[in-house]
Amino acid sequence: MKKTVRHLLLALLATSSAAQAAGPTAQALAFTCAGCHGTDGSSVGPSSPTIAGMDPDVFTDAMLDYKNEKRSSTIMKRIALGYTDEQIREMGFFFYRQQPRTKPQKTDPELVALGKSLHDSYCEKCHEEGGRPGDAGTLAGQWMPYLEHAMSDYLNDQRRWPRKMERKVKEAVKAEGERAVPALIQYYGSQN
Amino acid sequence: MSKNTSASLTGFLFVVLCLFGSLAAYATQHSATGAAASSNIPGAEGEELPFTFDPKTGKRIIPDSRCLDCHGDEKQKTDVRDDGTPVKIFVEHAQLTASVHGDHSCTDCHTTIERVPHRKAPHVAVSCVDCHRDTWEKFKDDPEGKHERLKVVLEQIDSYMDSVHALPNKQDQSRTNATCYDCHEAHNVGELGSIQRKEKRLKNPEVCGRCHEKQLEEYRDSDHGKAVLEKGDSDSAVCSDCHTTHKIASPEKDAVKLAITRNCGNCHEDAQRTYFASYHGQVHRLGYTNTAKCYDCHGSHKIKGEDDPTSEIHANNRLENCRTCHEDANDNFLSFWPHGDADDRANYPGLWFFKIFMQLLIFSVMAFFWIHVLMWLYREVMERIQGKGFIEDLDHPEVVYFRRFPTVWTWIHALFAISTMVLILTGTTLLFSHTAWAKAVVVFLGGTEMEGIIHRTAAVIWLGIFTAHLAIAINNIWTKRATFEWFGSTSMLPNWKDWDDLKGMFRWFVGRGERPEFNHWTYWQKFDYWAPFWGAGVIGSSGIMLFAPEATATVLPGWMFNIATVVHAEEALLAAIFLNSVHFFNVHFRPERFPMSTTIFTGAIPMEEFKHDHRLEYDRLVAEGTLDRHLVKRPSRRADLAASFITTVLIVAGLTLLTLVLYGVVTMPN
Repeated sequence: MKKTVRHLLLALLATSSAAQAAGPTAQALAFTCAGCHGTDGSSVGPSSPTIAGMDPDVFTDAMLDYKNEKRSSTIMKRIALGYTDEQIREMGFFFYRQQPRTKPQKTDPELVALGKSLHDSYCEKCHEEGGRPGDAGTLAGQWMPYLEHAMSDYLNDQRRWPRKMERKVKEAVKAEGERAVPALIQYYGSQN
Repeated sequence: MSKNTSASLTGFLFVVLCLFGSLAAYATQHSATGAAASSNIPGAEGEELPFTFDPKTGKRIIPDSRCLDCHGDEKQKTDVRDDGTPVKIFVEHAQLTASVHGDHSCTDCHTTIERVPHRKAPHVAVSCVDCHRDTWEKFKDDPEGKHERLKVVLEQIDSYMDSVHALPNKQDQSRTNATCYDCHEAHNVGELGSIQRKEKRLKNPEVCGRCHEKQLEEYRDSDHGKAVLEKGDSDSAVCSDCHTTHKIASPEKDAVKLAITRNCGNCHEDAQRTYFASYHGQVHRLGYTNTAKCYDCHGSHKIKGEDDPTSEIHANNRLENCRTCHEDANDNFLSFWPHGDADDRANYPGLWFFKIFMQLLIFSVMAFFWIHVLMWLYREVMERIQGKGFIEDLDHPEVVYFRRFPTVWTWIHALFAISTMVLILTGTTLLFSHTAWAKAVVVFLGGTEMEGIIHRTAAVIWLGIFTAHLAIAINNIWTKRATFEWFGSTSMLPNWKDWDDLKGMFRWFVGRGERPEFNHWTYWQKFDYWAPFWGAGVIGSSGIMLFAPEATATVLPGWMFNIATVVHAEEALLAAIFLNSVHFFNVHFRPERFPMSTTIFTGAIPMEEFKHDHRLEYDRLVAEGTLDRHLVKRPSRRADLAASFITTVLIVAGLTLLTLVLYGVVTMPN
C-alpha cells in the first residue's frame, strides 16, 4: 500500500511539473508587486501608488522606462529587469482589470476646491474625469504623499515631464502660486 | 487480491496518471497558443473587456470624444508646438459629422495617432490616396452605387499624382508641393451639391493664394476676383476653373496653355467660338500655342473689362499686346476684330455680308452643278442601257488621236493641280482644326509654322503658274491677233452657243432632245477655266493680305483681316468641293469616260471620243481640210501608263481631300 501511495504521489508530481511548462500567469507575476502596491495593486501605504485599474499602456511605459533607465527609481529598475516585455504587458492588463480600492485621506476642503478648479483648467484634458484611471495615468485617489514625491521629482528635474505637462503645471503655479501643486494633490487625494 | 495483482494495478494507475498529466500539460499549452492566435490582448479570450482595445489587433481604440477633449475645445483653438510655435488644433466636429466623411472616426484617417495624450509631437500623415483606393476596390461592384463618386475621386487622384503639386518641394524634398488636405478642408469635404462645396468654391482663391500669393493679389483686383471675393458670386471664375482642380502643371507647358484657354470657353462660350474661328484660335485648336491665346491679350489673373484704363484690353493698352507677337504692328491693328463674328449681323454687318455672299455662292454653284452631275449621270446610264452614246469599239482599237493640248499645258495643269491640292490640304487643316485628321496632318507636316511655310510656298507656285498661263495665253492671242475670233469656236470666252448648249444639255438630260454637239471648248470646260480667275482674285488677294499682316496693315484697316479670313476660307471650300467632285465627274467619272481621262497628260484624245464630244470642231476641220494637222499617233504604252498613273494619283488625292473636307464641313461646330 505504501508503494501505491508513492506511485500516486509521483504521478501527481509529474502532472504538476508538466502543467508548469505553460509559464506563470499574469496574476502570479503580479503577486510580487503586492508588497508595495497592495493586493491586486490597490496600495495601502503612503509612498507607493495604486496601480489597480491603471491603463496597461501607461503601466508598460513606466516599467519599460524603469527597465531602460529612462525614469529614476529606488528599486523599480531592478524589479522591472526581472520581467520580459511580454510579461510586463500581461501584468499591465492584469492590473487594468483590477478595481482600485482606495482609502479616504484627510484633506483641506479649501485646497481641494482650489485644486479642482486648477485641475479643470489645466489638467482635465489629459487626466480626464478628475484624474481617474485613464490613458494619462491615475491621479484620483492616489496617496497624497506619493503624489507629493512625484511632483517634487518633476519640479526638481528628477523625472522627465510628459509633453505639455511642464507648461500646464507651470501655468497653474503662475496662476495660484505655491498653493497650486498642494491644492491639486489635495484634490486628487480627496477622491476615493 | 494477491500481492502481484496489487502491484500490477498500482503500476497501471501510475501509467494512466502520467499519461493524463502529459495530456493536461499539452492541453494547457495548446489553449494558451490558441488564445494568443485569436487575440492580442493578454487574457482577453471570451472576456467582456472593460476598456477599448481592439481584441484582434490589440491596438487601442481611441474614441472621437477623447480627441475632441482638446481638438473640439472652442475656447482653445490653438496650441503651441514643442518648439513654441502656435498651431491650430480646433476641429469643427459638427462640420465633420455633416461631411462626406461623417461616418469615420478620427483615427480612421489619422492612423499614426496611437496614444492620447500624444506622447510625441504627432506626425500628421493622412493617406487619403490609399484609403480612397481601398474603399473603391471594396465597393466598386456594389449594386447600390453608394460609392460611385469614388471613381471620380480616383481619377482626380491620378491627375494629382501627375501634377506639379505631387512633386517633391524644392526647399524641402521630404514633402510634396501640396497634398490633398492643403486644398481640401480635411474635416469639411461636402457631398456633391452640398453647401460645403459651394462655400469651398468661394474659398478656392484664398486656398490657392496661401502659396500663390502674388497671383492672389492680382486676382483680387480682377473682375473675376471682385465678383467672387467681394460679391460672393460663385458663377465667376475661381482658380480651378482655369487651372483645373487636380491636373495642375506649370503654365509654361503647352498642355497647360491649351487647357487654360479651353477652360475660358467653359464660361465665355461665344468668345471662344469666335476665337476658334480666327487664325489665332485655329492654330490653338490644332494643339499649338504659338498664336495669341485668351490670356495673352486679356491678361491672366488681372482680367478686367475693356473700359477699365488698367485693363490689358483697354484701347490704350491693346496695341502693346499685339506687339508681343506682331512687333511692327501699327494703329491699324486696333481695328482688327479679335472676336469678329460673321454670324452677328448687328455688330459685324460687313463680315456678315461677306460670309452670306460667299455661302450663297457656294450653295448656288454646288447646287447647280451637283444637279447637273446627277442628271447627266442618269442620262448617260440610260443611254448606255439603250446602247447609245460613245462606246469604245473593242474590235477596232483606236490608233489615231486628236491632239488637244501642247506639252506646256500638261505641265501647267499638273503643277496647278498639285499646288491646289497642297493648298487645300494645308489650308483646310486650319479651317477644320476641330477634326482629328487636321491635327494628325499638322503633326505629320511638322507643326503649324511648317504648315504655314508649305502653304505659302504652294501659294506662290500657284500664283506663278496662273501668271505664266496668262502670259502664254496673251502671247498666243497676240500671235494670232490677225485671225483670232474672240467669240469664235476656239475661244475660251463664253458665247450664246454655250447658253444654247447648256439648255440643250438639260433637254437631253430629261429626254426631250438630242445631246448638243460641241465646238473646241464645251461650256463646262469654260466654266472650269474661268472659275480659277475668280478664285485667284478672291483667294489670291485675301491670301496676300493674310500672308504678311504687318505689311497689309500699313495700308488697310485691321478688320480687313477678318473679311480676308472669311472669304479666303469660303472660296477655298468652294474650289475644294467643286474641283474634286464636279470637275472630276465632268472629266473622269461620267460613264463615257470612267474611270478617267488622261488627255490632259497625254495631250491627245481618241479620235472617236473627239468626234463624240467635239463634233462641230471635227466637222469644221474636215470641211477646212485641216484635220490632219491635229492628228497624232496613239500615245506609246509607257506614255499612256505614265498618264494613267499620275491621273490616278491626283484623283485619289482629290477624292481623299474631298472626303476630309466634307467631313470637316459636316462636323463643324455651330
